[in-house]
Amino acid sequence: MSTLHILFRVGEADYVLPAQDVEQMESFSGATRVPGAPPYVSGLMQIRGKVVPVVDLRVRFGLPAQDISLDSRVVVGRHGDRRVGLLVDRAREVIKLAPDQFRAPPDVVAAQAQGFVRSVAQAGERLVMLIDFEKVIGREV
Amino acid sequence: MTTLGGFDEGEFLAGFLAEAEEHLARAQKSLTALDSAARVGSAAPKPVRELFRAMHTLKGLSSMVGVEPVVEITHEMETLLRGADRSGGALGGATVQLLSTAVRALDVRLKQLAAGKPVTAAPRELLAALAHAPSATTQHGGAQVLLPEALAGKLGQSELAQLALGASRGERAVRVDFTPSPESAARGVNITSVRERLATVAELVKVLPLSRPVTADSPGGLSFAMVLLTRESDARLAEVSQLEASAFVALPSREAPASEPAVEEVEEPESRSYVRVEVSRLDDALERLGGLVVLRFRLARAAADLEARGVDVRELKAVLSEHSRSVRDLRSAVMRSRLVPVSEVLARVPLIVRGLAQSTGKPVRADVDGGSAELDKSVAERVFPALVHLLRNAVDHALEPAAERVAAGKPQEGLITVRCESRGSSQLELSVSDDGAGIDRERVAQRAGRPVPKTDAELLELITRPGLSTLDTATRTSGRGMGMDIVRKVAVEQLGGELLLSTERGKGTTFTLRIPLSITIIDALSFRCGGQTFVTPIGAVEDVVEVEPGAVTSSPSPPGADGSRGGAVRLLRRRGEALPLVSLPHLLNLTPAPQGLPKALIVRKSHQRCALLVDRMIGRQEVVVRPIGDPLVTVPGVSGSTDLGDGVPTLVLDLGAYAAPGRTRKELELT
Repeated sequence: MSTLHILFRVGEADYVLPAQDVEQMESFSGATRVPGAPPYVSGLMQIRGKVVPVVDLRVRFGLPAQDISLDSRVVVGRHGDRRVGLLVDRAREVIKLAPDQFRAPPDVVAAQAQGFVRSVAQAGERLVMLIDFEKVIGREV
Repeated sequence: MTTLGGFDEGEFLAGFLAEAEEHLARAQKSLTALDSAARVGSAAPKPVRELFRAMHTLKGLSSMVGVEPVVEITHEMETLLRGADRSGGALGGATVQLLSTAVRALDVRLKQLAAGKPVTAAPRELLAALAHAPSATTQHGGAQVLLPEALAGKLGQSELAQLALGASRGERAVRVDFTPSPESAARGVNITSVRERLATVAELVKVLPLSRPVTADSPGGLSFAMVLLTRESDARLAEVSQLEASAFVALPSREAPASEPAVEEVEEPESRSYVRVEVSRLDDALERLGGLVVLRFRLARAAADLEARGVDVRELKAVLSEHSRSVRDLRSAVMRSRLVPVSEVLARVPLIVRGLAQSTGKPVRADVDGGSAELDKSVAERVFPALVHLLRNAVDHALEPAAERVAAGKPQEGLITVRCESRGSSQLELSVSDDGAGIDRERVAQRAGRPVPKTDAELLELITRPGLSTLDTATRTSGRGMGMDIVRKVAVEQLGGELLLSTERGKGTTFTLRIPLSITIIDALSFRCGGQTFVTPIGAVEDVVEVEPGAVTSSPSPPGADGSRGGAVRLLRRRGEALPLVSLPHLLNLTPAPQGLPKALIVRKSHQRCALLVDRMIGRQEVVVRPIGDPLVTVPGVSGSTDLGDGVPTLVLDLGAYAAPGRTRKELELT
C-alpha cells in the first residue's frame, strides 16, 4: 500500500515526510525571531491563526543559511500536540511511496545526517530521505 | 473592561433575575415590618425607605431589561412609598395589604421571565389602587420634560412620569449618547462602566440601545442613548462617566421647576450573595496567581538542590506537593469565577433578531440553544460583536424577501439558528445558520475581481478580505460580506480561534466560530527594539524615560583578570538615583536602531531597579497573550506571543527576567 508523501528540497538533497503528518504548506516571508531560542529556530509564524515555531532545516542540517526566496516554503508538520514548521528551499511535489521502497540509510548518510534521516527510498531516478520529524524538532523536555 | 454594545440587557438576564429575587425578598421583610407597625398604628420610616429602595432599584434594573409590567408596578409602588416617607412613614393596614399584592404581582412576572414565558401586563386595577392609595402624594404634572422624537416614543408612561417628577423637584433631565468603540474599550469605558458611574451622580431613567451604521469607530454597530435626571453639571457628569462633555445634552422642561429637596438616601445597602466584579479585578487575581505558580517552580527547584546535597527533604516534599495541589485548585477557582454561561451571552440574540426583523421588514424567527457550556468573560465580550455582525448579515443579506421565499417553496418566515457546543475541554463551537439564499460565489468573485472560489474555505477567504465589505449595494445581491473581515479578525486574530463557512445555494449558510474558552488579556506597552516590535505588561514597567546623553555615566569598573576591558558599567541618573542602564537589543542579540533619543524602561525586580534601553516606544494597548507552548521557543524572558493586528506574532517579554539580580552583572558586561 503506497501512501502520499510531501517531497521537499534542502540544499542539494530531497527529503520526504508522510502527507498524513503534514498539516499544510505555506510560502515564507519571514518569522518573528525569538531571542534565546536555538540557532536553528527561525522564529514564530502565524499560520491561519495558529502560532507555530519554524525550524530552518538548512541550519538544522548544518548547511549555511540562505536568503529567503520565492521558492522558500514552510512545511507544517504535526507530532502529537505539537505543530512545527520546517523551512525548506523548495516544496512542490507529492509522491507515492510504498513501505517496501524504504531501506535503512547508508552508513555515510546516517553518519552525516546525525540521525535526522530515518530511511531512504528510491523514487524513479531520485534518492529521497525520510525525515525523523520528532528528532528534528527535538523531544519534549 | 472591554465591551460591547448592547450586551447588557440579555447578558445580565440571569444576573438580573438573581438580583431581582433578592430585592423581592428584602421587600417581603420590609412588608412584614410594615404590617406589624400598621397593626399598632405606628409609623415605620425605616422599612418604608428599605422597601422604597428595593423597588427603586428593581425598577431601574427592569427598565434596562425591558420588563415593562415590572417597571410600571414598581414605579407606582415607589411613588406611593415616596409619599409615605415624606409624611413620616405611616401606612395604613389596607395600604400594606395593597403593597403585598403588588409584590406578589412582581414575583409572578419575574418567575414568568425566568421561565422564558411571556410576561403578563400589569393589572390596571392594581396600578390605579397604588396611585390612589391614601399615603400617595402624586407629584406628576408639575413639569414636563420635552423629549426629541427619537426618544419620546421609546419611553413608557412610568418613565415619563419619573422625568416629570424629577423636573418638578428641580433636577435637570439630560440625554447622554455613548457609542462603544475599540478606543473607548481600550480606556476601560463601556456601557456598564458608564451606567454605573453615572448612577452615582444621577438617576438613570432609561437606557436605550440604538443601532447605527458600522464604522471603524463603532464595529459593534450599536450606540446607547441614556436619559437621566441629575443635579450635577454636564462637566461633572463628563468627568465621572469619562465621556466627552459633548455627549451630554440637556432636555428642556416646560415649566419652572419647583424647588423641593430630594429624599436623602444614605443608609448602607445590605450585603448580597450575588456580586458584580469588574473583570480587571479578576484579571489582576489571575496575574498574581501566575506569580504564585512561578514561585512554586522555584521552591521545587530549591528543594531539589537541597536533596542533591544530601539533605532529608521528605517533609518538605510532602508540603510542596500539597502546596502544588492548592495552587492548582486556586487557579481553577479563579478561572471559574470568570466564566459566564454561553446561554447568558446568547440571551440577547432573539432581541437583536427581532430588532433586525423590524428594521428590514422581513419576518424572522430566531432559534437559540446555548447549551450548558461556559466561557471566560473576556472571550464572551470579544466574541459578541462578531455574533452581532453575523446576525445582521444573516437577516439583512442572506434571508430573501418574504415573497421570494414563498416562491422558492420556503416558509415565509426566515429562520436564524444559533448553536453553541463544547469542543473538547478548551474550545467552543458557536454557529450562526440561516435558511436563506446561500452565497452567490460568482457574484462575490466578480466583485472581488478574483477567480470563482471552488471550496467554501476559498470563498470564506474571499469574503473576509478587508475592503470587500465596503461595496454594500453588491452585497445585497451576493448575500454576504458586510464586516466579515471584522468577524474573522475577532475569531482568528483576537481570540486565536478559527472561522469556518458552509453555504449552499438556495438552502442557506452557516458560519462557525471556533473559539478558546479562555484567554489572557493584559494591558501592555509596545516598543521597538533592534528592528523588532515587542510588548511587555504595563505592570512591570515603573516609568518610561528619555535617555539624555548627559544623564548617562560610566562607573569605574576594574578590568577583568584576563585583561578584558572590564565592561564599563553604564548608569542612568534619574531622580537622584543611579540605575544600571542595560541595552535591551544587546541582551537579545539584536542590533539597536534608535530613532531620536533612545528611551529607557524603568523596571523593578525585587528591590532593584534597572533601566532597559529600547529604540523607541510605540504605544499602549490591550493585548491577548497566547502562551508559547512549544519547547523549541520556550525561553526565559519570553512569556508568550500576541497579534497586534498585523498577522505577525509579536513577543511578550517578561522584563523582570532581564532585570533579575544575578543576571544583571553578566548582562551589564554585554553592554
